[in-house]
Amino acid sequence: MKLSLNWLKRYIDLPEGVQEIADSLTLLGFEVDDIETTGIPQLDNVVVGEVLDREQHPDADRLGVCRVALGDEHGETTIVCGASNYKVGDRVPVAMIGAELPGGFKIKKSKLRGVESNGMMCSGKEIGAGEDAAGLLILKNSPELGTPINKVLTDSDTVFTLEVTPNRPDCLNHVGIARELAAWYKRELRYPSIDTLPISDEVVENDVLKSVEIECEEECPRYLATIIKGVKVGPSPAWMQELLASIGLRPINNIVDVTNYVMHEYGNPMHAFDARDIADGKIVVRKATDSEEIATLDDEKRTLSEEMVVIADSHKALAIAGVMGGANSEVKDDTVNVILEVAYFNPAKIRWMSKQLALSTDSSYRFERGVDPRSLEFAAKRAAELIVETAGGSICQKKIEAGAAPVWQNEITLDTDWIRAKAGFEISDEEIKNALQSLELSVSVQNDGAWLVAIPSYRGDLGRPIDLLEEVLRIYGTHRIPSGQVFATAVAKNDHPITEYIRATRGYLVGQDFSETVTYTLRPESEFAAWTDEKVMSDLSLKNPISEDQTLLRSNLVPGLLEVLKLNQSRKTGATRFFETGRTFGESRGKPVEMVSVAFVVCSEGTEKSWRDVIAEDYFSAKRRVEELAKMAGMDLGKFRVNPASGDNKAWQAGHAAVVDEPKAGFAAQIGLLNLSYTKELDIDGEVFAGSFSILSERIREPKRVKFKPFSLFPATAKDLAIVVDKGEAASEVVRAVGKIASKATKGFDVENVFVFDVYEGSGVPEGKKSVAVSMVFRSADRTLKDKEVNKAFEQIQSQIREKTNYDLRD
Amino acid sequence: MEEDLKNIVESAKQKVSAVSGRPGFEAFKAEITGPNGALTRVMKNMGALPKEDRPTFGKLINKAKQDVQSIYDGVLSGIEEAELAAKLGPAIDPSLPSPNATRGTVHPLTQIREEISRIFKQIGFTVAEGTEVETEYYCFDALNTPANHPARDLQDTFYMKDDADFGNVSKRTDERYLLRTHTSSVQIRTMLQGEPPIRIISPGRCFRRDTVDATHSANFHQVEGLYVDKNVTVRDLKALLDYFFEQLLGKGTTVRFRPHFFPYTEPSFEVDFSSKHLAKLGSDWVEIAGCGMVEPAVFESVGIDPDVYSGFAFGMGIERIAMIVYGIDDIRYFYQNDHRFLKQF
Repeated sequence: MKLSLNWLKRYIDLPEGVQEIADSLTLLGFEVDDIETTGIPQLDNVVVGEVLDREQHPDADRLGVCRVALGDEHGETTIVCGASNYKVGDRVPVAMIGAELPGGFKIKKSKLRGVESNGMMCSGKEIGAGEDAAGLLILKNSPELGTPINKVLTDSDTVFTLEVTPNRPDCLNHVGIARELAAWYKRELRYPSIDTLPISDEVVENDVLKSVEIECEEECPRYLATIIKGVKVGPSPAWMQELLASIGLRPINNIVDVTNYVMHEYGNPMHAFDARDIADGKIVVRKATDSEEIATLDDEKRTLSEEMVVIADSHKALAIAGVMGGANSEVKDDTVNVILEVAYFNPAKIRWMSKQLALSTDSSYRFERGVDPRSLEFAAKRAAELIVETAGGSICQKKIEAGAAPVWQNEITLDTDWIRAKAGFEISDEEIKNALQSLELSVSVQNDGAWLVAIPSYRGDLGRPIDLLEEVLRIYGTHRIPSGQVFATAVAKNDHPITEYIRATRGYLVGQDFSETVTYTLRPESEFAAWTDEKVMSDLSLKNPISEDQTLLRSNLVPGLLEVLKLNQSRKTGATRFFETGRTFGESRGKPVEMVSVAFVVCSEGTEKSWRDVIAEDYFSAKRRVEELAKMAGMDLGKFRVNPASGDNKAWQAGHAAVVDEPKAGFAAQIGLLNLSYTKELDIDGEVFAGSFSILSERIREPKRVKFKPFSLFPATAKDLAIVVDKGEAASEVVRAVGKIASKATKGFDVENVFVFDVYEGSGVPEGKKSVAVSMVFRSADRTLKDKEVNKAFEQIQSQIREKTNYDLRD
Repeated sequence: MEEDLKNIVESAKQKVSAVSGRPGFEAFKAEITGPNGALTRVMKNMGALPKEDRPTFGKLINKAKQDVQSIYDGVLSGIEEAELAAKLGPAIDPSLPSPNATRGTVHPLTQIREEISRIFKQIGFTVAEGTEVETEYYCFDALNTPANHPARDLQDTFYMKDDADFGNVSKRTDERYLLRTHTSSVQIRTMLQGEPPIRIISPGRCFRRDTVDATHSANFHQVEGLYVDKNVTVRDLKALLDYFFEQLLGKGTTVRFRPHFFPYTEPSFEVDFSSKHLAKLGSDWVEIAGCGMVEPAVFESVGIDPDVYSGFAFGMGIERIAMIVYGIDDIRYFYQNDHRFLKQF
């Protein structure tokens, strides 16, 4: 909201410094976003001068040499001037030697084309009075010669742009803010005066408006119409125009300007109708009909709906209630009789209408935040009197009104010890009382010592003792709230498992030279085809995206990481290893879910040249990392099925990537080479290996306390087998099968480990087969194993493999 | 014979310098102590000596043997040294960089978030987490935000489609799903789950329907804090934030409260700081956080008796703090992830 300092000064005496006032407003809770000073700054050595004569400059067609009178004190001088809009006898601002004009321009004695010049006659722009730089500023009304220019051009003002929080609609006007400053500075507040017109016995007959009828009381509880007859429409007085202009309002005519003026003075939006345009002299506040049309004052035709409220006569809508008047009944140059509407409309209804119509006005802005319904009479009287003052005419004594202001009684019982207990520091009863009273909250002490605080009707935001605590602190000064000891009384617990999990994974990946990134959660639809299906896409899409490239919740972190890779590649930063931790969104049991994810990418291209090769990333190094990420969440990836990426996987390269999808365990993992055509489509050079692990947050297991397991102190014995299997057989399957057979074949000792140590295809192995070399480690808890028992078991294992599997043994 | 022995040792001493590598050593050794070696031959001839000469000669032989062995040992240790040196390769140039030139880095937003978490941990606050997808109830209603509050507009808040139903984000009734606009929803869920005293901070990603520019981002990060206990006062809140910002921004940092309005706190304040350590802030007081005493209506919505308990809440933007602390002038740097940016922190 814009606030004029000159306007404010009509109601309160304020200190000199603009910054001082701005600081006070800030500490009262009205943040000052901007301070703008209009008019000329303080200028020394710039005075009123008169052009006594002008001669043509001997060497320059466009210059004149003028004799200028500067009054008794400064005498006469010669000034060379390039302007042409003045004539002899004009009085103009003259910057004498030693003056400094806005922008730091210093006036010195000089010669222009050989002719001496002792100062400068100024344009408006040169002294900061407006934008006119075309010619000299010709001063009107012949001010006395030698007068400092600041005494002539006095119409300077300072305009504050304030942020008024939604709980303080009473401060959306100058009186409201003046009241706050009066409380802050403990100064007197001068309310605008009414009953200023000379008392007249003449009875002014109302033959203009017969009735006001409210058809929808819920939306419009109260409507007050004041009739002013015999006005003469014209420009409003200069002082009013200046004040309105200072806060950015365009003066229109004396009637409209008064309505705007009173709204910004006292807070009540109001509207003036030309009485001629009201058919049958009847005003009806009613619901609009469906598709009812009205041309509003801004020359727009607006279509209304049934739930909207209009001010109408018996034929047509005259205004959209609380939002904007209609063109059909506006005050015109020849308007004679005016009907002044001051009403109260339901805030929620006005907010809704304003939104529906996409039309926010000063009026709707105030109504939707809440106008004090008890203030209508005062505002109406103030406005009517101002109309008479500025446009003549006379006010009909009989007002036409409908509805009633809601009853207002609001008293809060306050215990000052409670205030001190909540504040946590000492504020005396006296200070509390002063704070409340300075805000015009009246305090009366009850018999039991408790205070009864009466709340004025414009402070609808105050209803409970806690609200008064805020008022006391505001006036006491929130910047004076003392500091104190920090108490840590609550029991500290561990951070949330998600936090701890993310920390662990971050530490692990940073330790492996990955750089952490943060990318956007919202991603473009086009990206999802490679990652998920239509159903999930639909579940993850926003109802109201802001732009086409941010329409869906991310289902995987890898696309964002690829964007990072691409940016770093194109900028040649040399970085090729990135990761991100964060939330992704997927589907579980047919419903969308939020997951906790960690993913990394490594690109083969883009590193800076190095004097020595770096070990290249491959599927297996990626797998190792994903296993670790899973383990940190309490998941042993080794216990789950690792499926090779299928041929139709658009994100991952078939034959070089794998997926683990375990809805029951609440996680999913993907590992390996990204689909080459996918990364190529994204314009990424080289191959990208990636890994991704996502888990439902509720499935992350906090690390458990480990229970020590004793181990054997006796040596192990190993036996190796080369097993010929189908080329497509997973090594993990071979290990699983051999492990199962081995545990059955060993009696009295354990199979400690079974692992693959070689995989071979080629000569000696039949076409379509491969040889998987497996090592088995045997150990006993209580003795050194004898060759005999191990060999016996080994033979049995071999025969069992031959019998029970479709594997062959290689000799 | 004694002469022979002398010659053998002498010749070994002379030849040894030419010996190189293990095969050379073996050949050299064979020439002396091999089956047909010079020394072996002399020893074989011992039988031909008169019995009385044998002890003397035996001593000489032993002496020669010892001499030869010490020559062998010398050669062998030289060879082993050479072998080891060969295995090690040439000496490294310790000034060469690691070929893994790009170090792993922690994102600046994470660093600030973790620093904030550490400071609060020292005074008993633990990190709570919630979901980024939330419902209208937990994001607004429970926080005393009126149904017609502008923050709830489709203009300002991202909503999921009307029929969205998230499996692991619980709804209160049948309210809409949205992307949380603050992490205050975590406070509500925490209060619903546990009894006071509660001391949590909830850092996390939030969303507002803002067009991206130098200071706005549709997603951003916040830390909010909540303390609920008996007899919590405005002064406690001030003391806490004084402590926190001095820890975060350096000694001599001062904090002031300005009255403000939030639906979920009463009284509410905005927090400005002033610090000597951070130059070029443009003004004496810089807005950094919002805070206030928990609004009684919020306590009522989570079943905490406002007559028994009181508390405070505060919140601040992680990007904003990172920008101030590091002197970053454009929020978009955080989301572009240019490595030249990332590696500076």
